[in-house]
Amino acid sequence: MSNHHDHDHGPTHTHDGKPIQEDELPSIEAQILETSVRELLIEKGVVSGEDIRRAIEAMDTRGESLGAKIVVRAWTDPEYKDRLLNSSDDAIREFGINMSPMELCVVENTDEVHNMVVCTLCSCYPRPILGIPPAWYKRRDYRARAVREPRAVLQEFGTELPDGKQVRVHDSNADLRYLVLPERPAGTEDWTADQLEALVTRDSMIGVSDVRRPGEADA
Amino acid sequence: MRGPQDYGGLPAGPVDPVKHEHVPTHWEKTVDALMMLIFDQRRQLARVDESRRMQEALGEDYHKFPYYERWLQAVSWLMLEKSVFTQEELDAKQAEVRARLEAERDG
Repeated sequence: MSNHHDHDHGPTHTHDGKPIQEDELPSIEAQILETSVRELLIEKGVVSGEDIRRAIEAMDTRGESLGAKIVVRAWTDPEYKDRLLNSSDDAIREFGINMSPMELCVVENTDEVHNMVVCTLCSCYPRPILGIPPAWYKRRDYRARAVREPRAVLQEFGTELPDGKQVRVHDSNADLRYLVLPERPAGTEDWTADQLEALVTRDSMIGVSDVRRPGEADA
Repeated sequence: MRGPQDYGGLPAGPVDPVKHEHVPTHWEKTVDALMMLIFDQRRQLARVDESRRMQEALGEDYHKFPYYERWLQAVSWLMLEKSVFTQEELDAKQAEVRARLEAERDG
């Protein structure tokens, strides 16, 4: 075992609040298999090294900020919101996002309903918008319990819902992906799009939390 | 019958959104990219449900494999199933890569 693993696991966050990454290499067997498959695919002309590099680049451009643009457009443009909820695939094409061959379904949080997304069978996620799902989304704990005791799971994310609020849990699959349209906070009526986008978090679009409260955002 | 992947509703521990946050490593992104490339419009070598079938075929090993190692296994099996490369080619390549990585590690 290498030396840097010998210490006890200490704090899980740095001072600026970012989780400390466990950037471990996989097992040697996994490294051998990955290198072999990648090199064979390149030798067979199925992919090039450039294709792989570009795919990783594209992956890095997806995430919270792309989703936030869609959410804020819906908050500020009722006609767009209507399209986003009723023909989600068409509506996100305006942002250069193509879900095909999957379908997107956007679900709206309201005073009465809180929506939450899971994939009990694997890790299906609106990847073309939000990128790679968070580790907890792929783990057994979240997948098993989100559909049985969603309120308890939400509490573990620090999300307390009023008693009367209904919770709807959406189980994603290979062909159908969900995105939550969170509620726009009160008191933001005269905010600019940039200010509003800073409120929208990845977790609020998965439905495990609300957006940042005005005053909490950095922008 | 409940497959190994079918976690919905089973007993499980608390979700720890701090501990289980993880920025994907470059290696994980590479595996992710390979899967996305074989799925894409240009290649259409496999579909998401086929990848799932391969991962579910791991049986009890499903729980032991880290997430992206499941993906890697699925890509490998799919490429064999679709005759993109043969088992003999993969075996020969793995022997060569093993020697190379071990030489790098020891050198």
